[in-house]
Amino acid sequence: MTPALHVSHLRKVYGRGTVAVDDLSFDVQEGDFFGFLGPNGAGKSSTIHCIAGIATPTSGKIEIFGVDAVKNYREARKLIGLSPQEFNVDTFAKVTDIIDWMGGYFGMRKPERKARVDMLIEKFDLVPHARKTFRELSGGLKRRVMLARAMINDPKLLILDEPTAGVDVELRRDLWRYLQELNRDGKTIFLTSHYLEEVERLCATISIIGAGNIVRQGPKADFVNEPGGLEAAYLRATGAEPELLAGAV
Amino acid sequence: MNALQGSINWIGLWTIIRREWSRLMRVPIQAFLAPWISALLFIFIFGFVVGGRISHIGGHRYLEFVLPGILMLNVVNASFLQSTSQIYFARFMRYVEETLVSPLSYIEMIVGILSVVVARAVITALGILAIAALFHATQIVSIAEFLFWIVSVSVVFGLLGIIVGLWANNFEQLTILNVFFITPLSFIGGVFNTVGMLPGWLKWMAYANPFFYFINGLRHAMIGFSEANAWIGVGVALGLSAVLGVSVWRLFSIGYGLRS
Repeated sequence: MTPALHVSHLRKVYGRGTVAVDDLSFDVQEGDFFGFLGPNGAGKSSTIHCIAGIATPTSGKIEIFGVDAVKNYREARKLIGLSPQEFNVDTFAKVTDIIDWMGGYFGMRKPERKARVDMLIEKFDLVPHARKTFRELSGGLKRRVMLARAMINDPKLLILDEPTAGVDVELRRDLWRYLQELNRDGKTIFLTSHYLEEVERLCATISIIGAGNIVRQGPKADFVNEPGGLEAAYLRATGAEPELLAGAV
Repeated sequence: MNALQGSINWIGLWTIIRREWSRLMRVPIQAFLAPWISALLFIFIFGFVVGGRISHIGGHRYLEFVLPGILMLNVVNASFLQSTSQIYFARFMRYVEETLVSPLSYIEMIVGILSVVVARAVITALGILAIAALFHATQIVSIAEFLFWIVSVSVVFGLLGIIVGLWANNFEQLTILNVFFITPLSFIGGVFNTVGMLPGWLKWMAYANPFFYFINGLRHAMIGFSEANAWIGVGVALGLSAVLGVSVWRLFSIGYGLRS
């Protein structure tokens, strides 16, 4: 079966010779809830940027449901929805416009866009804020807008880069429920997060990246059944200090 | 779900135009009122007050002679500022990433940007014509020629603005080309005078200056006065559009200033 995401020997070197990702290879199967973990600067966001088209891979191959993300980028991007870690929006634009424009870029017709925007605004409790500008919103509300925007095109592969950073507990739990619902309906989800509880609750497969390469990957059960659970497994994989590890175990 | 008819994402293209138009309409005073007031002052001082003391040029009142130059100055500025700000702010606030992750081709992105550039230039030009009408100075000999010059010059400077917007890393760099090249070249390109009025050593510079052909072309379209073969100007405008268009497309395709 063609994987939802196939990354092969990906290398990303930035302008001043900084190697962000080095010979990275992994597959995400269709329908999986895939957790992509790693410390800050490990290469998670660089990998996501290469997959989504925000960064150009230095070398290697990326395929989205078998479609080459570089050579056939337009077809590949139709299949992806991205909620990035940083707010990359026109902050003076209104919430509805931000979501609606994204649907427009994806070629969605007006009635279809309107129905989808209304549904997402409702789903993310943004109704009272729909006519506000992005800059008027609190951090948590901004994060909801990013998530709604990522889902406007009902993507087959949803990429969430730290989607619950700065979000209150209520929304976090609502979002978890919604993501689990989406995943149950067959959507493939690629998640990065620093909240191990979140990863443990949501993901079926976990991959840990360290210094630009995968250091460990497998089903969630392999990690959580170890002494100290996912946290200890994560710290071991990323080469944390022994005393830190002892605390976790 | 998607309506990507054929190979052109028409809805995506229209969305870029809608987004940029909405952004432009947040600053109507800066975008339209400022150039109209500036043009009004130019027309009043140079055309009406000073021009009243200058004899006719080529059978035309000085105000009629100078109006195409004033109009061209504003079209150039409007086009350049529109595209530099579109690109630079999209990069600065990172919402350019919205289009990078979407199924939009580079051509669609560029055409979307240029459409708003041309719209702004045309509205600026129409406003100046309306102001000039108050001074009984508005005339257009050839509407087709007039439109050609407004559209082609706005495309040239829109494309140039995109390149600067991609290159600039701070607000000051955005103004460099305008201060050191665009404004000086446009002023010595025959806004206020004929080439014949220039000293001999400056005449060659006028003929080597693309602004001269743009202003001369627009002047020919408006009052029928010309100091050069119109086809040279058409060639310069189309040639620059082609060279800059290919350059911008190339920059987009390699992700210069857009992708990390």
